[in-house]
Amino acid sequence: MVFPTIQFAVFFPIVLAISWALMRRQPVWKPFMLGASYLFYSAANPLFCVMLAAITLGNQGASKLIHRSEDARVRKRIVVAAVTVNLATLGVFKYYGFFSQEVNAVLDGVGLGLPVPLAAIVLPVGISFIIFQAISYTVDVYRREIEPATTFDLGLYLSFFPHLVAGPIVRAKEFLPQLTTPRDPRKVAVGAGVALIVIGLTKKVAIADFLAREIVDPVYGVPQAYSAPDVILASYAYAVQIFCDFSGYTDIAIGLALLMGFVFPQNFDRPYRATSVREYWRRWHMTLSRFLRDFLFIPLGGSRSGKLKTARNLFITMVLGGLWHGAAWGFVLWGALHGAALVVETLLRGRVKVPGWLAWLLTFHFIVLAFVVFRSPSLGQAGTYLSRLVEPGPATLWTVPIVAVVVLVVGLQLLPARPMDALRVAFERLHPVALGASMATVIVLVAATVSSQGVPPFIYFQF
Amino acid sequence: MATTEHDPFILDRPTAPRISARGSLICIGVAVLLLLVLEGASIRRSGQRMDPGLQRTVVRAVGAPAGWLADRLPIGDAVDGLTSWLSPDEKLTGPGGFETPAAGTSARAGAATAITPDAFDPAALGEKPVRLNKLGTLLVTGDSMSQPLDVELARGLAASGVRTVRDAHLGSGISKTSLVDWGRLSSQQARERKPDAVVVFLGANEGFPLPGAGKRLVSCCGPTWAALYATRARKMMDTYRRSGAARVYWLTLPLPRDPARQKIVRSVNAAVAVAAQPYRAQVRILDMAQVFTPAGRFRAAMAVGGKDTVVREPDGIHLNGAGAKVAAGLVESRLKADFDSLRP
Repeated sequence: MVFPTIQFAVFFPIVLAISWALMRRQPVWKPFMLGASYLFYSAANPLFCVMLAAITLGNQGASKLIHRSEDARVRKRIVVAAVTVNLATLGVFKYYGFFSQEVNAVLDGVGLGLPVPLAAIVLPVGISFIIFQAISYTVDVYRREIEPATTFDLGLYLSFFPHLVAGPIVRAKEFLPQLTTPRDPRKVAVGAGVALIVIGLTKKVAIADFLAREIVDPVYGVPQAYSAPDVILASYAYAVQIFCDFSGYTDIAIGLALLMGFVFPQNFDRPYRATSVREYWRRWHMTLSRFLRDFLFIPLGGSRSGKLKTARNLFITMVLGGLWHGAAWGFVLWGALHGAALVVETLLRGRVKVPGWLAWLLTFHFIVLAFVVFRSPSLGQAGTYLSRLVEPGPATLWTVPIVAVVVLVVGLQLLPARPMDALRVAFERLHPVALGASMATVIVLVAATVSSQGVPPFIYFQF
Repeated sequence: MATTEHDPFILDRPTAPRISARGSLICIGVAVLLLLVLEGASIRRSGQRMDPGLQRTVVRAVGAPAGWLADRLPIGDAVDGLTSWLSPDEKLTGPGGFETPAAGTSARAGAATAITPDAFDPAALGEKPVRLNKLGTLLVTGDSMSQPLDVELARGLAASGVRTVRDAHLGSGISKTSLVDWGRLSSQQARERKPDAVVVFLGANEGFPLPGAGKRLVSCCGPTWAALYATRARKMMDTYRRSGAARVYWLTLPLPRDPARQKIVRSVNAAVAVAAQPYRAQVRILDMAQVFTPAGRFRAAMAVGGKDTVVREPDGIHLNGAGAKVAAGLVESRLKADFDSLRP
């Protein structure tokens, strides 16, 4: 089920009302919310629920064993086994097709035939997010940062519908404590939740889908049919599209959770105002950044052992972070580019002084150009796309709305936060009736921009 | 890697004071009520367009009373009028819709329709094929099946100076006029684009009942349904071939994995083959079922260039990028046989 659909508009008010009605009766509320979340997930494919339940039970079993054991070696073996099984599950669903095709190509190239069976495996929606959260639970139990939760609580943590399919990646130690006591019905961030939903819907439907339809998809589909002006604009437009698409989704997810009394971590903080790639990753998909930091970069050694080892750890982390996005060389290269940029920044830190405006300009254009390999369907197409950046020709897709949207979205991120925050807070302070009327008005306006083919899936659903 | 001392939560930034949960219910309640009044007709329409299943049942259950309410209040129409300029959809205007067949499209009962020379592909008679000079505009259209075939064709033909118009209508079908009326759409495409060649890959959303004699609905997928489907497809073929000025390349559907869908696809493919009979001189049926699912068996992978390659999406319906490349190659070779400008 996708957020901006009629199905979800029917589902959510019913769940919200029952949720608050049952909130004080936790033994009833938890099974209800678990059932509602599984119903939400089953709309994609009922079989995915079986996988979700298996991941829940498997991680719960491992966590209980870890908790019971006092032997450090045994605990370590169990957590390694649990993480391995989690990653193997992810590997089979997400990477098997890519792996088998690539391995077969290499082996066939040296005359060894095609030994790995080919298969087209259905990718369960949100599996990367589910697996990462499951790992965070098991590892947090291993690190004794949390006690094992009840199976119901763990099931609810992994399946809670607002963050189920595309994050934000909420750590177990952040979510589970919110389940131990009923949410306080006197203190609900209604205004903040509605503001986020309204902003998220506008970003996704009115901006991201508009740019995709009008310029990004045509140019990235057949770059050879366009010349430099269109290709350059499409590059900026994609950076704006993916920001509005993904941050729009998480805004809605966080807003829905707030209306239900749950608080999620922030996932985006005006990423295109970053003046370094390091800062960019503090502002872009922040929950993935900290997951990679806590579960990959630091276990690899972090920045404790000198600049060279820090550089190595950064590079490995970013390459694997790129691969997390999907089974394609474009994602690996995108991660490697960001890793290389972080390495360069680390090695140059304190040696080179760059004016702020130049640092922003370089960072922003690095991000925009790196997205070319991320978005292109293949490395060959990325090469074609990049070659068209210098191909003279007419601007056939430049329109006032496209340019205005691109400039507005990037420009708003460069403005100081305070005036925008003041505007948002003023909106949040409206009476609930006015908030509801505003939300309905925005939905009507945004729905009018949807084509008869419906709202395209969020980009991060495929990850 | 970024290291922060504090992982920010959403409410760490300035926000309005928190209020009671009743406020959230009032807010959502007001929004829902307004949407039912303002968008009731749209909700009802969306339910009608959806594929059968639980979700459709739920949306229709909400859409029926909401639509009834909207019908009695003029406000929904007023809002539609005010916001219509925001819609990205092309307005389908003009004649040619399936529901209002143009005069003279149905044969008189008991009368045999005269066979015209257009029913014969000259090549099949051993005659010199009629070749067209220049492929200027190629229209690639259909439902989701036409993607990424359209992109592959556009890439492949870009160097030949062909302008490829990609016009996919996801979720649509010939037997499903509630979303797009392909009769009207094909007329508009032919009238406005004037394509020299049209590639049609359509049929992933078929199987809906079709109105038969006396407006009685005929369920998929027997001979009566196939005949009604073929009539609609034939009308589209006739529109696209533009009295012989254009060539049409209609791709049949590879069999899907799901046996229930296979039944629909067999009926669709048979109907398409029959529909093309009067226009063999201009309409080419490219048999993707034979290419991707020979002997009527689904397979996810096949040999491409001597290597086993996955050619279907995991959904068991669509072609993936590699499969689309295979299909595009076959279309291109047929285009080269018909257009001088594509010859090396």
